[in-house]
Order: sequence, then structure tokens, then C-alpha cells
Amino acid sequence: MSEASLFVRKATGLVRSWSVFDAFIYAFFSINLVTLGLYIISQMYFFEGGLVPAMVVSGVIILAECVVYAGLIAVMPRAGGDYVWQSRILGGFVGFVLAVTGWWFILWLWTPLYADMLRHIFFVPILGVLGLKNLALDVAWNPHWWMAVVVITLIFVSVVIALGMKAYARVQKFCFWVGNAGLLVVCLMLLFSNNANFRAGLEANAGQLFGAAPGVYEATMAAGAEAGGVTPLFGGTLTAIFLLMPFLVFFNLWPNWGATLYGEVKGADDFKRNLAGMAWALIATTVLGVIFFLLVNKTMTWDFLRNANAAYWNFRWGYTAVAPPLNIWPYPALLAVFTTSSRLLQLVVMLAMSMWFFGWAGTVFLSSTRVIFAAAFDRILPERAASVEPRTRTPIWALILMVVPGLIVSYLFVYDVANFKSLTLASTLVIAVTYLGSTIAAILLPYIKKDLYNASPIAKYKVLGIPLISVCGVIFGAFLVFLLYQWLVDPNLLYGLVYFYNEAGERTTNLTSLIFMGAMYLLAVVIYLVARSVRKSQGVDLRIVYKEIPAE
Amino acid sequence: MIRIFFATDVHGSDICWRKFLNAGAFYQADVLILGGDMTGKALVPITQQSDGSYKATLLQQEFHLKDESEVAEMERRVGSRGYYPFRVSPEQLAEFQSEPAKVDAFFHDKMLTLLEEWMALADERLDGSGRLCFVCPGNDDAPQTDQVISRSSHVRLAEGQAIELGEGFLMLSCGWSNITPWKTYRELPEPELAAKIEAMIPHDGDMRRTVFNLHCPPYGSNLDEAPEVDELLNVKDAGRALIPVGSTAVRQAILKHQPLLSLHGHIHEGKGVARLGKTLAINPGSLYEQGVLQGAVVELDLKKGIRSYTLTTG
Repeated sequence: MSEASLFVRKATGLVRSWSVFDAFIYAFFSINLVTLGLYIISQMYFFEGGLVPAMVVSGVIILAECVVYAGLIAVMPRAGGDYVWQSRILGGFVGFVLAVTGWWFILWLWTPLYADMLRHIFFVPILGVLGLKNLALDVAWNPHWWMAVVVITLIFVSVVIALGMKAYARVQKFCFWVGNAGLLVVCLMLLFSNNANFRAGLEANAGQLFGAAPGVYEATMAAGAEAGGVTPLFGGTLTAIFLLMPFLVFFNLWPNWGATLYGEVKGADDFKRNLAGMAWALIATTVLGVIFFLLVNKTMTWDFLRNANAAYWNFRWGYTAVAPPLNIWPYPALLAVFTTSSRLLQLVVMLAMSMWFFGWAGTVFLSSTRVIFAAAFDRILPERAASVEPRTRTPIWALILMVVPGLIVSYLFVYDVANFKSLTLASTLVIAVTYLGSTIAAILLPYIKKDLYNASPIAKYKVLGIPLISVCGVIFGAFLVFLLYQWLVDPNLLYGLVYFYNEAGERTTNLTSLIFMGAMYLLAVVIYLVARSVRKSQGVDLRIVYKEIPAE
Repeated sequence: MIRIFFATDVHGSDICWRKFLNAGAFYQADVLILGGDMTGKALVPITQQSDGSYKATLLQQEFHLKDESEVAEMERRVGSRGYYPFRVSPEQLAEFQSEPAKVDAFFHDKMLTLLEEWMALADERLDGSGRLCFVCPGNDDAPQTDQVISRSSHVRLAEGQAIELGEGFLMLSCGWSNITPWKTYRELPEPELAAKIEAMIPHDGDMRRTVFNLHCPPYGSNLDEAPEVDELLNVKDAGRALIPVGSTAVRQAILKHQPLLSLHGHIHEGKGVARLGKTLAINPGSLYEQGVLQGAVVELDLKKGIRSYTLTTG
């Protein structure tokens, strides 16, 4: 018998364990290769660094993020995430501003992006395969249809929130297995096909299903080259590889999304299990991505996919008036099923692949709900914001606070009001700023909250005598600073958030982006200051909310 | 107007108890209320080694303690987390391992001893402060805790009583919960819990001047959302599947009598506020393991009812 180190009595909340695999599924969907990954990689056609090394190197760096967040969770579990960590360590004002911008306001901008992914990986392929060519093309290009898909997305998300995570966790598991089965079939099709088969299948299917003109392969290669498609699959200098990352993190910066810990913290195992869930999701997704693009390269060639993407986005972003020869978004899974002539198989695989969206999209507003509730409990937002409709237990007001602005921002994005289409990467930038706040809190934690840190299961993890959470915080923090520098200073004019080349080829300041992001931070500051003033008049001092009571 | 500070579920955390006693001065509260579950859940042996040093394992990390100061520091860390440290020889430890009944008795003794120390500290700190302090043990607290609390000169046992808070406000307290998977000390089936609560309610009481202090939160109020566990007490879906586990009896009592305020604990993850009819229900949640005292500062006013409330992370 091994020596006992703990005797536990029967008491409420003493749970035994939880499944790392369940945590893995959640994180795996959060860095979603098929939705986020394929969508943003398709836009990265004009870089000189290789895609595969960029995925691998960024993945390795983001492992430090997993350590930071698993550490924060182990130190302050059940606490409400970034909002509470930052508020406790950096103060209530900083915590509120960074949390509501990164976990609530910016999610409004994600709404049209989610909808864009939904229409291109679900509606367009399915309608095309069903023979509804004109409708498929209309959905692919008509902004009214995009807006309709925005509404469908918001309805889906609202239903998920009303159902609750208990029900959605079951949906996610189903989607995980079906979606991965679909991806396996896609990979097998790519593995057992060859370039000649692919070209023949593309010629036949792109023409029949979407009305592409004959010679679509060659025309796409030419159009992509004309559009400046150069990004290689491998190679490039280290600098060039790093310059891909401000785009790539749109996809892989989120293994910590919704990571949490319930029940009593038993010890280091809880830290390790949470870390394992996130880290294995990141590693598995990176490996899966590398394998997938190698198979793409083998059969359709990376150069073709990149050029198809270049031709598509160059037209969509308005840099050319010439429509792409492949007149839909080049969805690699759809292109892969062109290697079969069976419409039924194409339909089944496309439906299976759509599970990557439905198993993931439901969580878009989950963090927002949590932050809205926490801010209302802290008396910064009105109590009503956290109220729940008694019959359905749906947070009606929180939903309104997410859905209505989400619709407005979607309208601006979909109809490209004042160049709103250029804001895609702002969706990532604002969350990165929030992460930087939490990362700074993590770096400082062992030094300014010693008791809290020393009472945690991560207190013994050190590197050369320095707390592991601080070491990983510095690594991840430096990465975030690099990303923010590239987005905000943009010395090579690659990301378009601050400067971009207009249609006349002139360097232009992106006022829309600056105003949009600035307005979000201003809104957060104003809400906090107004709340503080109003609550003061009611006899409530918001400054006491996170102030620590002296023990002695 | 009176200002109350309510906290709950400190589960043996020495630092949280000390913060609780200081909360009156910190938040300028007239009344301190602790909602239950005061006692800890685990014993941590600090085992003497053959060379005179000690060894302890906290949070699955092994510590070798060379001298008395390191042992004392470890005892402080263990106590801050809500566990009970105890020094032991390898032989005694082996005896504990082979005889669970001895562990139970020792555990019991440790809980009551620490509680006595807490009451002594409270008597010392609250003496002359003019503040009222009420404690209502929760479902995790053994019945004997009531006797220990009763012996305090400044802390008043609230269980099952209607207590005058001042300015005409009355508090009714019950630390019992509905049935849990853990089979703890104070659990009742819903009908019996309903009868127990009902028995406390005065026939001619003014409910707009009444505060419920019921450890278990009302069912389906969002103050009672806890991760779903399976029959082996493993957390389902990595803790993301939250389900309501509160009491229907508590909910019915609140909806029927509509007290001004209803204070709850029990579900550490359930921090929040909810309106049930005219009643404001609060569960401040608990972060006792981290030495963080979550609480609620509430101002009660004869004319306005609840003048203000603030959830705190102290």
C-alpha cells in the first residue's frame, strides 16, 4: 500500500475526475481547421513564407498560451476566465475593458465571418451538388443571401444558448465524429486520386455544378498568378514565415476558448489535464493541417489551390474586375469530392464536413454570455442583463446585447459600408489584446499575488527558478506583442488594418478599422465610468468589488 | 438602514475566516452572516521522516520540510486552502490507512478543534466592534458544530431560528440541503425540507422585512448550476454540462412567501443574483481554496427595501 498523502471525507462537490478527451473535443473545435483554418489560409496567398512551417512554428509558440491559461485556471478555477483574472490582478477597470471588448463586443464582428464560412462550406456546396446551380451561385455572391445566412447563424447560436451546454456538448460529440469521418473520406479521396483525375473531375464538376467555363484548371492557375499568388507550402526565411502568423492566428490562437475547470481542484493533475486537453488539440490540429495540405499538394497541387484562392479573393476584395474562373470559394473539401462522379457520395461527404461548422459555431456567444453575466453581477451592467427567462431559462437580454449589435455590424460588413470588409483581422486583434492582458496578469501573478499563487497546484513548476507560468507568459506575451506590432504598425503593408493599398494602388489609412476598434474600447470605458458614477449615486462603490480584504 | 455582509462555504479555509471577521470593518457592515459549510473536506498528513525532517503532499506535489519553520509554513498553506494539516509518524499514518474509523474520528476532532479556535478568534476580533455575527452551519457541517458555535460569546448560531437583524428586519436560517450524491450531514428529501423551512416562518411576519438565509439555492434559479456528474462522481463533458441542482422546496418557499432577500450558498460555481417574484436571491459563490472570500454587501432600508447590493471578491 502506498503512503497516504490525503484523507478526504464525504463532502459536497468532491468529484472524482473528468475526461481529457471531452476537453480535447472542445478545444479541437475551437481551433477549427475546416472553418477558421481553410477560410483564413485561403486569404494568405501573397506571402513569401511557407504555410507548413508557419503552422508548425506558430503552433509551438501557442503551446505557451496553453500553459498560461491552464495555469490561470488552476490558480483561479470557476472564476469566470479573463475577466476575473485580470480584474483580480490588474484591477476592475482594466479587467472590464479588456474582457468586454475581447469576449463580447468583438464577437459582433465574428458574426458575418461565421456566416460567410457557413455559406461557403455548407449552403453553396450542398445546393450545387443538389443541382441548384443558380441558387448556389446566388448564395455565393449575393450579399442579400449572405445577410440571410447571418440571420440563420444567429438563430442557430440563439437556439444553442437556449438549449444550454449540456445539450450542445452532446451535439458537439456527434459533430466531432461525423465531421472527422467526413474529413477522413476527403483525405482518402486525395490520397487515392491523382492530379490527372482531379483535373478531369474539376473540369466536369465545376462546369456542371457551378457553370465554370471549360479549361478551369489552367485558367485558375493563370488568374491566380496574375493576382499575385505566391505563398509556398514550404520554405521561406524565418522572417517571411513569421509574417504569415498575423493571419494564421485567426485560426489557431484559440485552444483556450472556453477552457474551464469545475469541481474541487485536487492538484497538479487538474493543471496537467487541462493543459493536455488544449495542447493535444493544438498539436492534433496542426498535424492534421499539415497532412491535409500535403494531400492537397499531392493531388490538386498546392499551387492550384493557392492560385484559386488568389483569384477568388483578388476579385472579392475588388482588386480586379475579372471574376475567378472557378466561380465559388475554393473549398478544398468540395474540390476533393470532385474526384468522384457520385452525387450521393459528394452530398454525404459535404454534409459530414458541415459538422465542423455546426459543432463549433454554437459556442460563438457562450463566452459573451459569461462576461455579460459577470459584469452584471459586479453591478457594471444593469441587473437585467443577467436575467433569465424563467420558462426556457434563456438569457434574453444577454442574447439581445449580442444579437442586435451583431446584426448591425454584419450589415456593415456584408454590404461593405465604408470599407468594412477590410476588418477581418480586427476580429483577432481585439481578442489578442485581451489575451495580452491575461498574459501580463499571469506573468505578474507569482509576484504580486504570492499567497494565491503559492496556494495553487502550479507553484512548484519552475524553469531555472522562475515560475513556469511567468516564463510561458513572457514567450506568449512576446508573440502577442509581435502580432500587435504587425497589425498596428504594419511596416510591410500586409494586413490592411491600419494602412492598405486602395484600388489606385495608393497607401491609405484605414480609418474605418481604427474608428471601429477605437469605438469599442471607448464604449467599454464609457460603460465603466457611467456605471461607476450611477452606482456611486446609489451608494455602491465599484472599487470595492475586487479589492482584497486583509486577513490580519 | 443596516448594511450586511454575507459570505458562505469557507470550508475550513483559515484565511477566508480571517477575512470574514475583518469584512465588517472593510465594508462598513453592521451585520456579518456566514451561510454555512464552515468545515474542511480533507486532512493532509505531514509525516516525520527518520532524519527528523517532514514530508507532505499538497495538491499532488511533494514537499520535503527541513526544519520547524518550513513545517509551520506548510501548515499555514494547508490551512489556508481549507484542509487540516496534522503531524504524524509513519507508524501512525499506516494505522490510519488500515483503520478508516480512526481517520473519521480524528477528522471529526480536527474539525471541531479548528472551529473552536475560529470562535476564539472571532470573540477576540469582534469584541467591542458592535457588529453582529451570525453563522448557520451547512449540509457539510457535522451536527456538533452547532454546540461549538453556541459557546461563542460573539458569534450567534442561526440554524432554525428567527433572528432580529436590527431595524425590524428578521432573518430565518436553514443550513439543510436537498439530497446530494455525497450523502452529507444535513440533507433532507424535498418534502421534509419544505416542512422544515415552513416551520420557521412566523404567521404574522412582514415578509418585506424578512431575510431568508437558506444554504441551498432555489432550483432553476441559475444560482444552482453545477457540473453534471455520473454515478461514479466523474464530471461529465469536462464540466461544461451544467445542470440545476438546487432545491424545489427552497424555490417554492421563496415564491410563496416572497421575502425581501434570500441568501444562499452550497453551489460554489453558482455566483449570481436572481429575482424570484419580488425576492432578490443571491449566491456569492465560493473560491475558498484560493483564499478568496466571495461575498455580498447588501443595504436594507425600511422604506426602500433593498437599497443596494454588491457582490464582492475580497
